[in-house]
Amino acid sequence: MSEIGALAVVMAFVVSTYGTVMPLLGAGLRRGELVHSGLRAVYANALLLGVASTAFLYALLTRDFGNAYVAGYSSRDLGFWYTLSVFWAGQAGSLLFWAAVLAAFSALAVWRLGRLRELIPYAAATLMGTSAFFTMLLTFVSSPFARLPVAPADGAGLNPLLQNAGMFFHPPTQYLGFVGTAVPFAFAVAALVTRHLDDEWIRATRRWTLAAWFFLSWGLIFGMMWAYVELGWGGFWAWDPVENAALLPWLTATAFLHSVMIQEKRDLLKVWNVVLIILTYVLALFGTFLTRSGVLSSVHAFATSSIGPLFFLFILLVLGMSFGLLLTRLGALRSQGELDSLVSRESGFLFNNLIFIGAAFAVFIGTVFPILSEAVSGMKISVGPPFFNQINVPIGLTLLVLMGVCPLLAWRKASPGHLLRSLAVPGVTAVAGAVALLAAGIRQGTALAALTLCVFVTAAIIQDVHRGAMVRRGHGETYAVALGRLVARNPRRYGGYVVHLGIILLFAGMAGSAFGTERDAVLARGQTVTVNQYTLRYEGGGTYTRGERIITEATLTVFENGRLLTIMRPQRNVHTGRDEQAMTEVAIRTTPREDLYVILAGMGDDGRVNLRVIINPLMMWMWIGAGVLTLGTLIAFWPQAAAAAQTRSRRLAEAA
Amino acid sequence: MSRTNRKILAAVVVFVLAGAYLAYNGARSSMAYYLTVGELLDRAAGMRNADVRLSGLVSAGSIARDAIAGTLAFDVTDGTRRLPVRYQGVVPDAFKDGAEVVVEGRFDGQTFTAARLFAKCPSKFEPEDEGEDA
Repeated sequence: MSEIGALAVVMAFVVSTYGTVMPLLGAGLRRGELVHSGLRAVYANALLLGVASTAFLYALLTRDFGNAYVAGYSSRDLGFWYTLSVFWAGQAGSLLFWAAVLAAFSALAVWRLGRLRELIPYAAATLMGTSAFFTMLLTFVSSPFARLPVAPADGAGLNPLLQNAGMFFHPPTQYLGFVGTAVPFAFAVAALVTRHLDDEWIRATRRWTLAAWFFLSWGLIFGMMWAYVELGWGGFWAWDPVENAALLPWLTATAFLHSVMIQEKRDLLKVWNVVLIILTYVLALFGTFLTRSGVLSSVHAFATSSIGPLFFLFILLVLGMSFGLLLTRLGALRSQGELDSLVSRESGFLFNNLIFIGAAFAVFIGTVFPILSEAVSGMKISVGPPFFNQINVPIGLTLLVLMGVCPLLAWRKASPGHLLRSLAVPGVTAVAGAVALLAAGIRQGTALAALTLCVFVTAAIIQDVHRGAMVRRGHGETYAVALGRLVARNPRRYGGYVVHLGIILLFAGMAGSAFGTERDAVLARGQTVTVNQYTLRYEGGGTYTRGERIITEATLTVFENGRLLTIMRPQRNVHTGRDEQAMTEVAIRTTPREDLYVILAGMGDDGRVNLRVIINPLMMWMWIGAGVLTLGTLIAFWPQAAAAAQTRSRRLAEAA
Repeated sequence: MSRTNRKILAAVVVFVLAGAYLAYNGARSSMAYYLTVGELLDRAAGMRNADVRLSGLVSAGSIARDAIAGTLAFDVTDGTRRLPVRYQGVVPDAFKDGAEVVVEGRFDGQTFTAARLFAKCPSKFEPEDEGEDA
């Protein structure tokens, strides 16, 4: 099977190269059959990488330890699901995953969007060029099918830290998001080459962009869940370079999702949109590069990584070619429309974009600061979480304001009187919310501002939906029917609102961590520690062995205001075996109000325990927010024939 | 340039300046030298009261932990030279002999007192396992 897989990868490299050259040649020479042949290479590439992936899966599931990768990352005691997750646990496997997903997406895009006769040759060539790069890496540099001279009896095993549901889903989701951005990017390139610079490429790839954004979002969410539950330090985000690398394309993709709406409605920001999608794709490549090369995680890893320099070159190539192409097309990209007023929906979107790009720029600078400072001053200087927080907290708050005000603004020019009337209800609700929050004892300024704004945005959204439904009800529909038809007629707008509600909940959860409480305590048996309304009594603990784990567990009885609440058992375990690995298993009690999060930092020989008790307010709402965001994306994903027709007629009316 | 465009431009400029100010402040308050063991030892005199982020490997067999006091002492090495680190707090799971660590704190010429400790698994796992932080 290994030989079949390796052969399939080599053939995929050849076919990808063919698929890059042929469509270009065909389009250039106006020879339809060459283009056609090139497009069939896209399908062949998908088939070949499907075969390679199957062969790789077969090696994983049959525990073929003659395969160097399988021997390096898997072992006999690994269960089915984690054996499966070995696919993307290491470099060669995750590159194969990337290439296979790209191949499948390319085939799907060519199949679904083949009707765009002018664009498709160049889009296909762009996608296959990328595929050629990845299959080249898989063939010559980092092969998932490399054999060992002698197969060991057992593999080295998967790090226990990676054996967690969050880590099972996080990498593939993240990659689906990264790869997904390739499709709108490819069509943007095609639009540039062919000078078809209307919004055709944007409309054609709208759902691709949305899907990519959705997977990028869930990549971040799974990563945060994993960090929160598994890493056992009480938080979910640490501004680690690798986290930042995943956040960057999300920020630019979010900006892109918003700004394309202005191009569709008003024919503005054409250049900007092309720039955004190029940036998003390059940042997705940068994210893959960063997670795989380790260029920032340590000072010396770059040189030791086999794929680092090649990846870096590829990114430079993509960047250079895309922006070079863009420069030659600037004249044709001149926007037809013009902004009419500072107070309008358009300028609201403009500021939304500024914010996302500002955040992305700040995160990028902070992430590569050591490299920049070394280049400038010869000293490596890095910045820490305070840098990121000081910039991104005000940015986040501004974003909330815009999220509330923007939907209330009219296109073109909003009348101040109308705007003020629209702001009345959300404004009053927000003030009431602030008073309630103060009464509830929240004094932390940032959290108070963020939560008040969350109330404001929610009220603004509800008001807008309610108004829409009332207008329809005026035409004789019941309220429920009116609401349903309103959403069905413009799923993108109302799906977007639901996504906003999800984001609001995520913000609320993040704001909650700003007024959390943390307390360390050393307890002997029978002693208690009190944090806020909780009292934890240490009942005893011990160490026992289960399989390959040495489990150290403390039993705590938890009282709330003197009333018995629950029993919690935080653990600190050591996985023995080939690679000794400590594993903190935190105990978490979740309520809508807050999480009680207990870490067993250590247990002494005398049986005393060292505990860290953390109270994380509103954490549950982050995960609920992730669910709401999913619902909103699904609504926005709904076909919107009616809405498209509506937009077109409005455009015509505007043009007249 | 129309009046509207001028207004929009002015608003954008205000926006960008505010962002730049925030960035400058944030950077000033959290900048730290990012050094390896050898670099820090060579510049020890100039680094007395500076915030330093030090990267290196946990020297095998040097870990001394007091689970109850929550204190941790170990040597960090760049392969040839080493220096002792003191730390108090929750220790990340990935911390062990040979692990790649980053410690943040100050060096008094003898001992590095760390306020924060980050650890990455040894070479086998690429840093895809993000945020293995303290």
